[in-house]
Amino acid sequence: MNDKNRQIHAFAARAVFVIVLLLIWEYVAKSGMMGEKSELIFPSLEAIGDAFIRNFIQGYAGISLWVYIGNSMKLLLEGLLIGVVLAFLLSGLSMVSKIFYDICNLVISVFDLLPGVALLPVVIIIFGVKPGVIVFLVVHAVLWPMSRNVLDGFLAVPQIYVEAGMNMGLKGASLLWGVYFPAATSYIVSGLKVGWARAWRGLLSAEMIFGVASCPGIGLFINQMRTNMNNAEMYATLVVIIMIGLVVQYGVLSPIEKCTVKKWGMSR
Amino acid sequence: MTKEKNYILEVNNLSKIFDADTEQEKDVLKDVSLKVDRNEFLCMLGPSGCGKTTLLRCIAGFESYKGSVTVNGVERTKPGTDRIMVFQDFNQLFPWKTVEKNIQYPLKLQGIRDKQELKQRTEEVLQKVKLSGQEKYYPYQLSGGMKQRVAIAKALALKPEIILMDEPFAALDAMTRNELQSELLRISMEEKCTFIFITHNIQEAIVLGTRIVVLAEGGRIVVDEKNAIARPVTPASEGYGETWERLHSALYQ
Ligand SMILES: Nc1ncnc2c1ncn2[C@@H]1O[C@H](COP(=O)(O)OP(=O)(O)OP(=O)(O)O)[C@@H](O)[C@H]1O
Ligand SMILES: [Mg+2]
Repeated sequence: MNDKNRQIHAFAARAVFVIVLLLIWEYVAKSGMMGEKSELIFPSLEAIGDAFIRNFIQGYAGISLWVYIGNSMKLLLEGLLIGVVLAFLLSGLSMVSKIFYDICNLVISVFDLLPGVALLPVVIIIFGVKPGVIVFLVVHAVLWPMSRNVLDGFLAVPQIYVEAGMNMGLKGASLLWGVYFPAATSYIVSGLKVGWARAWRGLLSAEMIFGVASCPGIGLFINQMRTNMNNAEMYATLVVIIMIGLVVQYGVLSPIEKCTVKKWGMSR
Repeated sequence: MTKEKNYILEVNNLSKIFDADTEQEKDVLKDVSLKVDRNEFLCMLGPSGCGKTTLLRCIAGFESYKGSVTVNGVERTKPGTDRIMVFQDFNQLFPWKTVEKNIQYPLKLQGIRDKQELKQRTEEVLQKVKLSGQEKYYPYQLSGGMKQRVAIAKALALKPEIILMDEPFAALDAMTRNELQSELLRISMEEKCTFIFITHNIQEAIVLGTRIVVLAEGGRIVVDEKNAIARPVTPASEGYGETWERLHSALYQ
């Protein structure tokens, strides 16, 4: 009962906070207190709301924002998938070979320090301006933190599970698959969270720095809104970006946690 | 060869050195030999640090060693489902599998695919450890005693030649411990299976064992006797007191 009360309290406090914030925004927007640029810096809520809808209906260059979102998500998913598979492969091989482990550890530590955007110039020289560059950056963003987490997870697997597994006749790849992977799930999930966060940021930055004409994404969209001084549209796109983040957090990551580590009583 | 008695388990001149060729080199087991008959319930006592766990782990194939371990006359150096280990640690079940799946997973690895058979075997062993109806629970939802019951059920389901138990009840409260003792006793009398059971508890050894072995430093066997007390053993049984005294003095000599 107390818990419920607490929740209602928290919700009410947040709701009031947000409403007050919006009211202040609206007041500033309507009063024009920022001078000439007022309309640019503080478009009114109605303008942002209109722009939100316009983004999806008219979009930019005759293409709806949906398409941009779709393009971004396609590249993101592709990169995430490749990154995760590679991370599993690297960590798996590291468990098999000590030499591979030592080298892998070094490589992960080094590349983990390198923000993907800093790699952009090099990557563009090598690949040219193609959607592949974005995928590459997403892979880069996911691969290292994910590998680090999975490896840490493997190393933290209690010896007793490994021995119980060997006792049942598991060895090599089957032991990895049957014991190490499930036992490291909480590490894998947190690797996914970090990987997703980095990939999403990396993707947006890359798209803002250079748009790929054959596969324009949200980053390009928001950048075009900036160049055209469509500031209401820009704010509306920010809202979309936040919404995508929420959908991934509550629609994908939380459910994954709920039906694995939480369900098994294994969350750290 | 054929004239020799066919023991289920033979440990021949087993020696184990930890951290060999380093400063902390430790001679834990020296030339240990032990023969175990089929369907024996061998209880192993010994002071802390004498190498009981190490010996059991060598038999299970978790450690490297000098000497040999044979099961049914065949040398075994790697872990296998003919020797199933029940650990002292409550957390030996896979937390990501339900009770039922924990029991069925090793069976599936053995190539048993038939759903009906898996189900039937699970029900059978859970009934033996008095956990019928608890199939769907995850390990974290079980008490320590229940987890050990599942671990025993899981071992039984595999129908191994030998079940190796390393103080499986040591961390339980006295009441649960007594309960599990009498259930294990009943199970051991019904099953065609050999048990090697490590314990610190003399009473437990006398109640459960058909044979009792006391180890000393280096795994030296100082007592090795059949348990002649009529089952079920209670402290009031004839011969209980003398046996207890004898084991106790061997243990603390
Ligand atoms: N992995 C290891 N590395 C080094 N030394 C070890 C290792 N495992 C056990 N030992 C040593 O071997 C000796 C025997 O240990 P073991 O665990 O077999 O004893 P035990 O008879 O089972 O004792 P207890 O009754 O306390 O469980 C101890 O001195 C211990 O320190
Ligand atoms: Mg021990």
